[in-house]
This record gives sequence, C-alpha cells and structure tokens, in this order.
Amino acid sequence: MNKILIIIINIFLTFFILNSSYAVEPDEILKDTKLELRARNISKNIRCMVCQNQSIDDSSAPLAKDLRVLIRDKIKEGKKDKEIYKFLTDRYGDFILLKPKIKMNTVALWFLPFIFFLLGIFIVLNHNKKSNKS
Amino acid sequence: MNKHLLNIPFVLFFIMLLIFFYLLVIDRNPARIQSALLDNKVPEFEVDSLLNDEKFFSSKEFGEQIVIVNFFATWCKPCEAEHIFIKKFSDKNKLKIVGINYKDNPKKTIKWLKKLGNPYSNIALDKKGKVAIDWGVYGIPETFVVNSTGIIKYRHVGPITKNIYKKITEVIRKTN
Repeated sequence: MNKILIIIINIFLTFFILNSSYAVEPDEILKDTKLELRARNISKNIRCMVCQNQSIDDSSAPLAKDLRVLIRDKIKEGKKDKEIYKFLTDRYGDFILLKPKIKMNTVALWFLPFIFFLLGIFIVLNHNKKSNKS
Repeated sequence: MNKHLLNIPFVLFFIMLLIFFYLLVIDRNPARIQSALLDNKVPEFEVDSLLNDEKFFSSKEFGEQIVIVNFFATWCKPCEAEHIFIKKFSDKNKLKIVGINYKDNPKKTIKWLKKLGNPYSNIALDKKGKVAIDWGVYGIPETFVVNSTGIIKYRHVGPITKNIYKKITEVIRKTN
C-alpha cells in the first residue's frame, strides 16, 4: 500500500515539476545561484518578441535564448537590473516588458480597473440607499 | 439622479464596444511592433566583414549618404524572395545597401550572392545575433532606412514586396 502511495506521489511531483519547466538550457545557467536567480527574475518579465505572449524564460525561440544569454552576460559584467531593462527597452521599446511601466500612456491601463470598481460600488450603494428609502 | 447613475455602466460598455470595433476595423497589425530606434542614431558596432579583410566599422558606413540596411540570411526563404527588390534599390535607385548577415555560414552566403547577385556595398557578419539585438531586430528579413546623418528613419519587418518597395522609395524621397 505504502509503495503505491509513493509511486502516486512521485508521478504527481514529476507532473508538477515538468509543468513548471522553463526554456533555460543547462549551458546558460550561471554558477552563482544568486546571479542566476536575478537573471531568471529579469527573464520572466521580458517578452519574447517572436512568440509575444510568452516570456523569454518560457520561450524556446532562438531570439529568446540570445536575450537570456545577453542578460546573463550583462549580470556577469556587473550591470544593475535597471541598466539591463534600459538596454532592452532602448532597443525594443516598452513592449518588451511584460509588466508595463506606469507612464502617461499607461495610466488608464493601470488605474481604470480601480476607477471602474469604485464607480461600481458607488452605483450599487447609491441604488440600495434609494431602494431602502422607498 | 439615481436613474442616470444606473446608465453609466451601459454607456461605458458601449464606448468600450466602439473602441473594440474601431481597432478591429482599422488597418493595423498588432503583431507589428514600432521600432524604438526610429529617429535615433544607428547603433555602433564592429564585426568581421564578409566582403573585405578589414573589420566592418559601423561608424565608417553611416553618416554620409542615405543607406539601406538589410538583415538577411541564406537559410531564410523570404530573404531570397525580397532579394530582387534589394537589388533594385542598388541598381535602379543607386542607393548604398549594407547587409547584415544574420547567424549564417559565410561560405554559403558567398555562394548565395554569386547565384542571386550582390547588391551590398559591405556585409557585416553577425555570427551570434548580437548586432541584430542592438538594432532591435526580432525576425529577419528586416530592412532599415538610415538618413545621411546616420539617423534611422524607417524600419520594415518581413520581406519587401512590390508595395513595400514603393513605400520605402517614398520614404527615401522624403528623407533629407
């Protein structure tokens, strides 16, 4: 019984590990785990310009690999995260960021949902108040 | 007052619908990304040249006349299809064309150019794709128009067709 349970747990663990797999190849991984973690965090926020709906961390497109290698090279050169993001946005624009910066042209994108939410609450409360009165 | 307030969500929904259909109807390709390098100086780089023994220095190639920069590779079929128009820019329009050979085999490229003709005045070898990243390239072929002061004025992603050729000719006519 115990053996069957262990097998089932193993199958589940394998499934979840495979499911959370990423496109980084072994030769790309930095020896320093701290630096590698930084590279992974940046890569997760960089859009694959070929696939467009995937991060370069998930994409196996050749350009995504080139960008992953470039990010690791920049980290090894001692560049800060901000400098790496700037390098990439200077060349590919803000579109390369999966999480867009708060700018004049993205204000609506960031804040309209909250405004709509507050407006909705206000309308519902106001409507309830009037209904109770009548 | 209360009745008017209840109309707001419907009005907002209607406005959103209008925006949605407007974006659907207008002629645009959301997958086509505007170059962040437009109206900026060409990136500086130094790599091996395919045609010369000397290195390819970007600083020597730009800044004197209008230059067309074409990212290409022999393994890229659309590059072969657009080559006739690249040749036209050189033969008919008498423009300086600089090629960036992207992740390719130099021997194969020389063979390819012998077969199809060489419109390039110089070809930079981008063996690892680093020059392409510097230019914000994400899919070859890509073609740029650089003005006589070394500023990027136009970028086209994908193969040059008859219509794109006309468009680029128009851009060149308007460029200084």
